[in-house]
Amino acid sequence: MVVTTPAVEKPATAEELAQRLHQAAASGSMVVPVGGGRAAGMGGAPLRCDVELHTTRLDRVLEHSQADMVVSVEAGIKLEALQSELGKAGQFLPLDPFNSPGHTIGGLLATGWTGPLRQRYGSARDFLIGIRVALPDGHLVSAGGRVVKNVSGYDMMKLHFGAMGSLGVIVAASFKVFPRPLHDVTVESRHGSIEDAWAEATHALELPLAPAALELFSDGRVLARFFGSPDAVNRMVAELGWKNADASVWTEHSRRGPESWARITVPQHALRGILTTLPAHAQWWASPGSGIANWSFGNSPADVRKARAAAEAAHGSLVLMASPAEIAAQLGAWGTPPRTIQLMGRLKQAFDPTGILNPGRFVV
Amino acid sequence: MLPASVIEELRRIVGRESVIDSANDLHIFERDASIEGALPDAVVLAATTAQVSAVIKVAAKHHIPVVPRGAGTGLSGGAVTIRGGIALQVTRMRRIIEIDTVAQTALVEPGVVNQELSLAAASHGLFYAPDPSSQKACTIGGNAAENSGGPHCLYYGVTTNHVLGMEVVLADGSVHWVSGDSPDRIGLDLCGVLVGSEGTLCAITKIKVRLLRIPPSVATLLAAFPTIETASHAVSAIIARGIVPAALEMMDRVTVGAVEAHYRAGYPTDAGAVLLVEVDGIAESTRELMSAVREVLAENEGYAMREAQTPAERDLLWAGRKGAIGALGRIKPNYYLHDGVVPRSRLPQVLSAVGEIGEHYKLPVANVFHAGDGNLHPNILFDLRDRDVLPQVEGAGEEMLRAVVELGGALSGEHGIGLEKSAFMPWVFTPDDLDAMQRVKRALDVDGLLNPGKIFPDPSRKHVHLAGRTGLAVEAKWW
Repeated sequence: MVVTTPAVEKPATAEELAQRLHQAAASGSMVVPVGGGRAAGMGGAPLRCDVELHTTRLDRVLEHSQADMVVSVEAGIKLEALQSELGKAGQFLPLDPFNSPGHTIGGLLATGWTGPLRQRYGSARDFLIGIRVALPDGHLVSAGGRVVKNVSGYDMMKLHFGAMGSLGVIVAASFKVFPRPLHDVTVESRHGSIEDAWAEATHALELPLAPAALELFSDGRVLARFFGSPDAVNRMVAELGWKNADASVWTEHSRRGPESWARITVPQHALRGILTTLPAHAQWWASPGSGIANWSFGNSPADVRKARAAAEAAHGSLVLMASPAEIAAQLGAWGTPPRTIQLMGRLKQAFDPTGILNPGRFVV
Repeated sequence: MLPASVIEELRRIVGRESVIDSANDLHIFERDASIEGALPDAVVLAATTAQVSAVIKVAAKHHIPVVPRGAGTGLSGGAVTIRGGIALQVTRMRRIIEIDTVAQTALVEPGVVNQELSLAAASHGLFYAPDPSSQKACTIGGNAAENSGGPHCLYYGVTTNHVLGMEVVLADGSVHWVSGDSPDRIGLDLCGVLVGSEGTLCAITKIKVRLLRIPPSVATLLAAFPTIETASHAVSAIIARGIVPAALEMMDRVTVGAVEAHYRAGYPTDAGAVLLVEVDGIAESTRELMSAVREVLAENEGYAMREAQTPAERDLLWAGRKGAIGALGRIKPNYYLHDGVVPRSRLPQVLSAVGEIGEHYKLPVANVFHAGDGNLHPNILFDLRDRDVLPQVEGAGEEMLRAVVELGGALSGEHGIGLEKSAFMPWVFTPDDLDAMQRVKRALDVDGLLNPGKIFPDPSRKHVHLAGRTGLAVEAKWW
């Protein structure tokens, strides 16, 4: 890595951002887009960074149409600010990423981070309905729209979602938002053995009204959250017989962001088996319904390598979400490249032909 | 016409009987369910991925366009071979390869009919959520190519939300798996980009989809309203109350009359509009939600509310909705079904504009659509035998779409752009927006051989109305 002091740019408008990006591209400067910085540890260290392009001044709600349950925002808005705006109308965006607070919407889209509510609502991929992106050639391009169902042209939202800013810088986005649930109850169970905890979690996930979120912890704790109509939720909670917990446990949970941390994703049914390959006293938390676990892996590259091999053998992955630079360099942030890497490379070439965006950070 | 040597090459791949090139037989493949048609030079009936790949390689070698084709039920001309070439028919690939009841997924070939999949899944207590009205005929491959919707997508989401991965053949004949059943795969989301690409980026040869558990309880309610406007307000009021029903469908007076004459489903023919509302889940929630829905509907002038008491009654209510288009044949023999989406709160405005346009052109219009999504389907009824009627129909359709766009809407919610709306893309997208999409096209289909002439405006096709109207595109932009 070439150590330089990057120029820090904080454009006030999307147009200005696009212009700065274009100038950087034209002069061969390497650009690292920055949002809230909460996912800065994810991916490989940038090979070079000449310009940090911050989106934090692009923080406006462009339009919140309450009746349509659609919101358009600039990419630099913080998730918490957006939720408080939506909350005034009894609505919310079902995103509850870890290492909160402070994520920007653009950062969440670029990284694809999710949290426990993914169990019920999917990821932002499922409710992102429009996007606006600055490209290295200075163009600002839009796709999608402000309607909840749209097949006009290619789904460019999918192209940029989770692309780690490798194809362009997201400057604005539109979402389908959701009504706050009529009833919202959190329950908790604690077990001495992880086997009992898995059995409880499985039982909860098989209820006819599945939990909106269910998190299982390596210490045998299980947290579940039910959304729905009051009678329905109350019956589920009664059937489970767990202890009531305060909804604030979820805020606390979302603050988790260990120094060294890996995300394991596998087909849902393979998750339990993968977690048994972790070292005996491993600290982790998991969303068994989604096939995702987060592991605070301490300082042992050998263990990470072993877990990654197991996850990849199950057609999954292990990604470093935050780690000391030397460990990331040693292990690689992403693991074995996908078999379609050449196709991805062609797309990268089409949008960022000189490779100035986030070099080294992502797989393309 | 393809050279005899090319036909011979194709026959070597799929067998003599599976290449059709006689003029009479080709006419069968001239159209899909849209109003345009064009003859392919040859039709190839592929039965395996290897055949699809080999056919595309031959086509690439000779620079012959290839248009993948499923059941041909598409409504935007996606399967029409507008530049000739090969119609690559995949309906022989109709195996349900696997239903995994633990992972709740199905792996299917592209020719599997949508409803067949749900029937097969039902024996395991599972279902496939996207349910286009053509589900008895349309294929999962076609659904994935078009990112199809359906009445139940209001709650459950559209096709792209249910496709976990695909095996695809690109324009060079190479075969790839994109995504799979593990969440957050490494790298760019190729699968997400390919779903809905209307056959312009790949041919789809296998699809892995998510299945859902069949909800234990379903409640279906039919309610009458004095006018389309009151029904539209009721739709917004339900959603504003925090209730997202599984389906929320509207039919106008014209449709209801035709449906009732045909199905005798007990639809109130005096109503200005009816809503079909369905909620599902566990018994407690359907009961609570339905009673809240009834309350909201009553507050918004809903009357003659009738809840299906048996599965047979529910099926009858849905038969009326899903068979509505066919029933309209009682009024006029031909129809032109349009598709546009507006923000839900704009439904009253757009529907009154649609009504005025119909009156102006003296063409009956029937509205039957996914009100909860703001996804309208004005259906222009006409008789092809009437002199000069087609330009009138096209003109009315274009004006309706213009009204949709002017109200901040989108050109298509679920039928796709295809041939039908490619000329209108500049209404909502700038040249730069379209160029970004075409970069994807050029990156994956260098020579432009897959389904050419679709989605993007084609300067060689003349569209007399377009030039004078492109100026408004910028004003209709969604920012």
